[in-house]
Amino acid sequence: QESHATGKRPDNLTDQIEEGELLLTLNIFYPVIFQKHKDHKPYQTVLVLGSQKLTELRDSISCVSDLQIGGEFSSQPDQAPEHISKDLYKSAFFYFEGIFYNDKRYPECRDLSRTIIEWSESHDRGYENLQSVKMEDYVFNDLSLKIGFPYLYCHQGNCEHIIIITDIRLIHHDDCLDRNLYPLLIKKHWLCTRKCFVCKMYTARWVTNRDSLAPVDPCFFCDVCFRMLHYDAEGNKLGEFLAYPYVDPGIFN
Amino acid sequence: MSAVPGLKEDCEELLGAFQQADTVRFERFAELWRERRFHTVFYGRIRALERNKLTKKTLELAQQYFLPPYSFQIRVGALYLLYGLYNAQLCQPKQKIRIALKDWPEIQKFQQDLLDSQHYDAAYVFRRLRLARAFHFTAMPKLLTYRTKKKIEENYFKEEFKDPSNRVNSLITNDVLEELMNIHGHYQKMKCVISADKSQPDKALSLIKDDFVVNLKDMTLEHQEWQQNRMKLFRNAKETDETENKKKEETLLESEGSERANALARIKYRSYSAVVEASRSRRHRQVQLESSEAGSSCGKSPSKKTSRRPQPARRRGEMQVAKEAVTRHIGMPVITEENSDE
Repeated sequence: QESHATGKRPDNLTDQIEEGELLLTLNIFYPVIFQKHKDHKPYQTVLVLGSQKLTELRDSISCVSDLQIGGEFSSQPDQAPEHISKDLYKSAFFYFEGIFYNDKRYPECRDLSRTIIEWSESHDRGYENLQSVKMEDYVFNDLSLKIGFPYLYCHQGNCEHIIIITDIRLIHHDDCLDRNLYPLLIKKHWLCTRKCFVCKMYTARWVTNRDSLAPVDPCFFCDVCFRMLHYDAEGNKLGEFLAYPYVDPGIFN
Repeated sequence: MSAVPGLKEDCEELLGAFQQADTVRFERFAELWRERRFHTVFYGRIRALERNKLTKKTLELAQQYFLPPYSFQIRVGALYLLYGLYNAQLCQPKQKIRIALKDWPEIQKFQQDLLDSQHYDAAYVFRRLRLARAFHFTAMPKLLTYRTKKKIEENYFKEEFKDPSNRVNSLITNDVLEELMNIHGHYQKMKCVISADKSQPDKALSLIKDDFVVNLKDMTLEHQEWQQNRMKLFRNAKETDETENKKKEETLLESEGSERANALARIKYRSYSAVVEASRSRRHRQVQLESSEAGSSCGKSPSKKTSRRPQPARRRGEMQVAKEAVTRHIGMPVITEENSDE
């Protein structure tokens, strides 16, 4: 694939990828939110170096569920917290070939795979020994992988992405040789963003339920229209409604 | 990946012409390439994304002919074809030729063969490709894509391009013959040693034919020659076939494997396609022929062949068509259930 980074060389020669480095092409599928995606799941394609750690890939995966802000904020719209889910729930794991690679870099990280391992060991379900190890200790060169076989990335407790490796090859002279740019995103599915119901121009940032002022339930608003409709000049809440901060899946377009 | 229409036929035509030319010289290939203006194969797609896809598919197709089991001449032709396609492509930066890890030893052996038989032009072409960094060294030959395929395409090799499967030769190799000679000589010497007369073995000990190794060698050579002659005849027959009148009786010069299959298919076709036309009162139970082609939903798709007796095929052309149709779609009658009330 042609990408913006083809042929790039790093400024610093120590960052240059050496000959013999492996290049993996991964397809990371979005979790199915919209029903129309069930048959042709949208995905992003990422290039990853063999010598990179699994945690580097984990950090590069952008998923909308990481940005969710939990909580109802109709009474205090200005105080929607700074903390997004990515900061609150840091646990994640990869599943490759019978081994769960859990992110344990932070003290808040938990072993999400423990439930699965306990379940498989509780009865003789026909699964081989499933193991759990630390994600940050492994690089891709350490793994044995099947090309075309679906693997799993799970974060936020229940947000699951299928990962499929489509290609493994040696690095080539014409590839991007700047190590800092990897994992490199080369293809991304473009999602339609939901626009504000009122102005139809800006991307929705708020969603309301049981809103006496809104024509539909749920109803999406951009920040400006939301405040203009639901609050008076002094900032008092008008009418009855529940409001939640909304992050559109198309935010990464 | 959906196939590019007509590309496979074009490549096979060019390689076929190269095979006919009976040479491995690059100049001859270049002439054939220029005659056909083959570089225009890339002109179809203008937008960058489609251009990339087209080029990738073209290189992937050509690359298949570069590997065994194709014959030496076809592989050299494929090498030249890859060279031509790689340089004629319009993509910038150039799309690369994917070679899987498992195929490299074969290719290195091939290169060594080229050098040993002094086909320096082919070896030079290969070297040029290597120096131009035209190859991607991959784990798997085919790049995966995710479209649900409606039909699993069979990859079938064109019969004429394949090296005649020389199973006899692969069994009775030179090494084997040499060893047999040695053992035979040894055996004779042992017999002499234990015999009364030291110069020749006892009459009672002669249990095998003395010259059986020589006979074996002669037989394998004969077989090889016969196979080569047959291939030549087959090729010539195919050539003259298209120019001759179609009223001629068919001459059965086909590869052995498909002969039997054809015979079987013919028998089946005759027995199953003899569909009796039902009387008016039973029209709703008319038997219709279905094709058992892989991928078609049997019993549901509309029948492809009409239900009547096939004309006895006298002409080669017709027989050919029927045979081809038969080897791929063997018609089986299916009774369609419309309504059961009489």
